[in-house]
Amino acid sequence: MSVRRLALAVLVLCATAAPAAVAQDAFPSRPITIVAPFPPGGVADLHARPLAAAMEKVLKSPVGVVNKTGAAGAVGMQHVATSKPDGYTLLLALSSISIIPEADKLFGRQPAFTVDQFEPIALLSADPTILVVRTESPWKTAKEFLDDARKRPGQISFSSSGVYCTLHMAMELLQHAAGVKLRHVPYAGAGPAITAILGGHVDALASGPAAVVAHIKSGKLRPLAGWGDRRLAAMPDLPTFKELGYPDAEFYIWAGLFAPRGVPAPALARLREATRAAVAEPEFRSAMDKMQTPIAFKQGDEFKRFFEADARRLAAGVQKVGRIEDKK
Amino acid sequence: MLETFQNLYFGFSVALAPSVLLYAFVGCLIGTVVGVLPGVGPLAGISLLLPATFGLDATRAIVMLAGIYYGAMYGGSTTSILMRIPGEAASVMTCIDGYAMARRGRAGPALAIAAVGSYVAGTASVVALMFLAPPLASFALRFGPPEYFSLLLLGLLVLAYMSGGSMVRSLTMAALGLLLGMVGIDQMTGYFRFHYGVVELGDGIGIVPVAVGLFGLSEILLTAGQATPPEVMKPRLRELLPSRAEWTQAALPVGRGTLIGFIIGIIPGSAHVISSFVSYAIERRLSRRPEEFGTGAVPGVAGPESANNAATSGAFVPMLALGVPSGPIPAVMLAAMMVHGVAPGPLLISQQPQLFWGFIASMYVGNVVLLILNLPFVTLFVNLLRVPYPLLYPGILVFCVLGVYAVNSSVVDVWIMLVTGALGYVLRKLAFEPAPIVLGLILAPMLEMALRQSLAMSDGQYTILLTRPISGVLLAVGMILVLLSLKPLVTRGLDWRARLAMAEKGEEL
Repeated sequence: MSVRRLALAVLVLCATAAPAAVAQDAFPSRPITIVAPFPPGGVADLHARPLAAAMEKVLKSPVGVVNKTGAAGAVGMQHVATSKPDGYTLLLALSSISIIPEADKLFGRQPAFTVDQFEPIALLSADPTILVVRTESPWKTAKEFLDDARKRPGQISFSSSGVYCTLHMAMELLQHAAGVKLRHVPYAGAGPAITAILGGHVDALASGPAAVVAHIKSGKLRPLAGWGDRRLAAMPDLPTFKELGYPDAEFYIWAGLFAPRGVPAPALARLREATRAAVAEPEFRSAMDKMQTPIAFKQGDEFKRFFEADARRLAAGVQKVGRIEDKK
Repeated sequence: MLETFQNLYFGFSVALAPSVLLYAFVGCLIGTVVGVLPGVGPLAGISLLLPATFGLDATRAIVMLAGIYYGAMYGGSTTSILMRIPGEAASVMTCIDGYAMARRGRAGPALAIAAVGSYVAGTASVVALMFLAPPLASFALRFGPPEYFSLLLLGLLVLAYMSGGSMVRSLTMAALGLLLGMVGIDQMTGYFRFHYGVVELGDGIGIVPVAVGLFGLSEILLTAGQATPPEVMKPRLRELLPSRAEWTQAALPVGRGTLIGFIIGIIPGSAHVISSFVSYAIERRLSRRPEEFGTGAVPGVAGPESANNAATSGAFVPMLALGVPSGPIPAVMLAAMMVHGVAPGPLLISQQPQLFWGFIASMYVGNVVLLILNLPFVTLFVNLLRVPYPLLYPGILVFCVLGVYAVNSSVVDVWIMLVTGALGYVLRKLAFEPAPIVLGLILAPMLEMALRQSLAMSDGQYTILLTRPISGVLLAVGMILVLLSLKPLVTRGLDWRARLAMAEKGEEL
């Protein structure tokens, strides 16, 4: 059966791409597309573009980035989940890949996709979010912030990149770990969420360090604590919530490359190898440096373990948040 | 002041360096092409070319990307005027009077006015950007969801002045647009609405396919449906330039359009699309002959085309002064800066003077380049009208389908364009003006999001819309507009709208 199918595939190949038929082992033979399910300029996009450029160099074949946005990333992720598993359509996913199917379950809808539909290729970075407030705000430490939040439940507000999105989940995990209640004002993306706190329309924000570091340096925002397992190399004085006694407030904005499940083994191996080489390219390294995002490259079992632990934390988080409408 | 000019001199020394100049020129050229192609707008153009700038230094990359952005605003008017197809969303309003001018044989003047208006607006708003960026940026930050909601509401009230004839007809079309704008994911709860199993509808219905369908396709269908095909136009050379009277009519609208566009451009979240709608409505309101709008009024071209160009410079204010995006296009440009190791933020101007001042100077240069580029094109483009319809229209159709498909690689978008094209045909046969549909479609998601964010901020208190000063003032202005439009009811006088409606009725009878 499989032999026949192979023969058929070869026939089709010969018919459609006769000159390239000899190049059976030459994956890729046409441009690869990396789908970034978020708008240009976002974290996914800023990983995808330098990665695509570096992979293009390694593979000596065009690699493009397409922003397929919408539905908090679900549109792009579903697009890749249901695309042909030939290795030519890849996904640059963030933590939300584990959140969206959980949220779908919560609403009792047919999930747009499940995590089993993806084959992990590599983890590129994993940065913990940090809690920032405006410099004029009364809170100098995370303890002061949380104490005040405990005294005034539902009064202190925070912006996020959207409901059930990464920045929202980080804050939810903190609220449950610390037993406080904050007021959520969702925005359409991380950029507008940062604009909102700078403009004083909300009080606090959980953000990736790179996105706010310029505002911290210029004295507009003050970091209070981080969600990491350990302190950030770039901000050694910033405590973690774990140190402050809230070990459940652990959250990373990570970025990883995925393929739809079912990509032929040779193509997958070639992609894994190309990603490993691309990450070592000086251009990619300097691109990540410039974004002040440390590379956290993981492949194989190591990535799998990280991915599963993270998915468990997030699933529990989504269940704790529950359906937004139920609270009204 | 003196320091600013010294800095600007320094900026020109950066911008006029041959390599920087070259990238400014390439950016403007690509932008013009992107603007001319129906469907493909500046966001798609910039996103596609972002990786190509990775090999450049930050200044050249930003200069080129900015050139694409404002170049697209110049190019967008071309197809709107010649074929009633918006080259990008911000040129929707130009379709109405620009195309009407072209039908009257004034295509050349319309194109020239659009180019010169864009030039004036582009240059004047760079001056404002140069002197006022830091203070304006902190003003822009004060626009939170409540202010934004009030502004959008004001925009919606302005609708009443958009179309001629029956108010009921325009409001019906606006309501249809608002309903279409409800499709897609609910950003506050994560619910999918009206998607009927089509995931692409999770994003909502795109503005571009609807605009191309409603304006462009419907026009092609209407022409094809005429018993005797319209005569192919033969523009003559001396008719290419605007007359003295046309320049005079254009002057004030260009000035007002520049101001409106720049102010709307700096507000985070607002799109340059809205600036052209507002400008059109204001021009009609201020005009002594509002009944001419829709039949080829010069201010209807000059105002919106200036406004959408000024809005691009306005959008750079929060981007350069604070490092925050005011929309998706500045967001891509911020990403481009980060990719080049320039940390966008409040310290950008002091830490990266060669980037900031080089950028400012390159925008002066770029606007001159675009003017030089566009005026000769007027002759070329106008001659397109000599092509007989049986050849011209199928060609346009192909470009529409390609352009709309290219933006999101989405066949769903092509279907939306085809369906709205048919809808536009029917509506125009029934004398409904499609422009309010597009405005409703643009405003609905923004308006809803802003209102619900405001209520989330205030824990459900509607008073937040009145107690915040900027928001309160905007709502008061809206209230005055409503009262003004009620005045004829009280005084029983007939305004131009009623006269026009009666005239229309007379014709139909």
